[in-house]
Amino acid sequence: MAIPGYSYEFEHRHLLSIEDLSRLDIEHILDLSEEFAEATRAGHRPEPHLKNMTVINLFFENSTRTMSSFEIAAKRLGADVVSMPVAASSVKKGETLIDTAMTLNAMAPDAIVIRHSASGGVKLLSRKVDCAVINAGDGTHQHPTQGLLDTLTIRRAKGRIEGLKVTICGDILHSRVARSTTMALHLLGAEVTLCGPATLMPSGTDTWGAIRAISDFNEAIEGADVVMMLRLQLERMNGAYLPSQREYFRNFGLTAERLEHAAPDATVMHPGPMNRGVEIESAIADGERSVITEQVEMGVAVREAVLKLLSGRRR
Amino acid sequence: MKTLIKNARLACPASGLDESGSLFLEDGIIAAIGDVSEQADETVDAGGLIAAPGLIDLRVKTGEPGAEQKETLATASRAAVAGGVTSMVVMPDTDPVIDDVALVQFIANRGRETAKTRIYPAGALTKGLKGEAMAEIAMMSGSGAVFFTNGDLPVENASVLRRTMGYAASCKAIVSSRPNEHSLGVNGVMNAGAQAARMGLSGLPREAEWIGLGRDLLLAEATGCTLLVDQVSTGRSMEMIREARRRGVRLHVSVAAHHLFFNELDVGDYLTYCKVNPPFRREEDRQALIDALVAGEIDAVVSAHDPQPPEEKRLPFGEAAFGAAGLETALSALLALVQDERIGLLDALRPVTASPADIIGVPQGRLAVGAPADIILFDPNKPWLCEREDLRSRSLNSPFDGRRMVGRVNRTIIAGETVFER
Repeated sequence: MAIPGYSYEFEHRHLLSIEDLSRLDIEHILDLSEEFAEATRAGHRPEPHLKNMTVINLFFENSTRTMSSFEIAAKRLGADVVSMPVAASSVKKGETLIDTAMTLNAMAPDAIVIRHSASGGVKLLSRKVDCAVINAGDGTHQHPTQGLLDTLTIRRAKGRIEGLKVTICGDILHSRVARSTTMALHLLGAEVTLCGPATLMPSGTDTWGAIRAISDFNEAIEGADVVMMLRLQLERMNGAYLPSQREYFRNFGLTAERLEHAAPDATVMHPGPMNRGVEIESAIADGERSVITEQVEMGVAVREAVLKLLSGRRR
Repeated sequence: MKTLIKNARLACPASGLDESGSLFLEDGIIAAIGDVSEQADETVDAGGLIAAPGLIDLRVKTGEPGAEQKETLATASRAAVAGGVTSMVVMPDTDPVIDDVALVQFIANRGRETAKTRIYPAGALTKGLKGEAMAEIAMMSGSGAVFFTNGDLPVENASVLRRTMGYAASCKAIVSSRPNEHSLGVNGVMNAGAQAARMGLSGLPREAEWIGLGRDLLLAEATGCTLLVDQVSTGRSMEMIREARRRGVRLHVSVAAHHLFFNELDVGDYLTYCKVNPPFRREEDRQALIDALVAGEIDAVVSAHDPQPPEEKRLPFGEAAFGAAGLETALSALLALVQDERIGLLDALRPVTASPADIIGVPQGRLAVGAPADIILFDPNKPWLCEREDLRSRSLNSPFDGRRMVGRVNRTIIAGETVFER
């Protein structure tokens, strides 16, 4: 995407939040990701850009999918990968988090991928290390690689982002995916509608770039080019935030009938893991409009791109 | 011991005095004011600095007893005198809780023996601060507890609070309550709103303060108790307080100095030094609090000093402790408003001198012949950079870290003795 007369450099040392990125940064990552994705589809191994580099996966929260995705991405690029699932119980919170960072830092890795249950936890850690830090999800704050992979998946399905109507439905309040994806799509010119019950809808979503936040799913889905359903934690449905699973499905579940109201070629997405029958009908999740497995595929490509860009960067 | 402070700009909110002159201190008392010609053992040339009464801070937490690693009365007083604070009221939420006569006396004695400042204990409103059984308010009052508070955890049960307020009223004791409906925002860590949502943090909603305040004001009205509303943080709370005053409710209002300086955006990139409770609110709230201060509706500006060691603050924002060290920065936070010409010097000093003195019934806080010689000399225009490493508190959790401040104390005198000099 070279523009004559302009030079572009991806200047960040960490990937902590979509908020830190410009439109050019995002497009740069997406273009690079797409190259990796196409290479993989064509059966090519990428260049070992990360040969002799060490990538540490430090997951303070359980996650099989994201951790595997990062691990595969790093290995494809030739890195030595150390994955450390740190169960919440074995690491006491507190100073230990910073101590862990300083200990790992002393081992001189080239990148650390971190997931932590506290919002801002990854940022805190990033201040204490000399290498690149990639946020793999911090509390209810950000999950930037998910935002990027969602954007890439949409761009591939639709050929563009600009002007698309995207509806994201579910537990917006507790979703770091909603924050990252909304911000990324907004930067690239999509019109994002957020939808969910009032109890799970935070204030100020306009500052994320959403054009509206509403609780009527039928209205939210009208004419949407993309419908993204979010996972609803089952413990939210015990009466505290929602009365019941069936009432949620009635109002906010994605059914074939509801999907009729979206654009005729609407794309269906879900960051996974899905609660089939809670937020999405199985037939839709597995149907021809669904790009849910392609999201997983693009996840690896985006992580390859991010690791290639950042690994080896130092303070 | 006779001390002459000459060539000072005397500033006393109690009398409205604001003119050049001298102070003559003898045996711990202010013996003469104005044009003084008596012989002194020591003469201090103030060089045009302001000479004002020492600050009286109605809300200080130390870790003594029980958490001396955070702060002791002695270490807090070291920070206090550097900030111009000469009298401190210390909170009862220690370990053990200050809920009986012996403990009130213990604090008073430790203060006399170890602290540079005057120390006044506040007593617990309920036994163990559990919010269930009222503490011995009358006896603690008799031993020197200046008011009664449940600390950071307001009494949840309205019936207990009503009875305790009624009882306190009969003892002519003041009840201090931090207005908060705890069930709103149990996991909250910063002001509820767009900024908290964007950062993925749980909110402490302003409604929680209003609901708690409404209850406290109504019960004060019903019982005739004198209420000290502890640390108002929103503009709408001031509207509720105005309404209560119109109804004749006996009340005093305090605001933490940091709420006059910061808003929710100062939390920035998860800065845990800016994690306080009540939290920094919206800019419109900060402006409304300043307006209330200018209008003379704030009776006390407090430091809300709450020392927390690094292991409590070097954590993800949600897990870090609440609290800010504030003894050394409260005066400068006020002087910033003077510098900006939002408020006159005397009006800024009143809620840290004469007004809190009157609330707790002590003779200092004024430049008056016969009053205790607790005097500070300060330069209201002195610029300085606040760096936490330079602060004197045992814990250095200051939200002012890295801020450019204006106005600094050069000398602090308590009972005629210089206890701090820069």
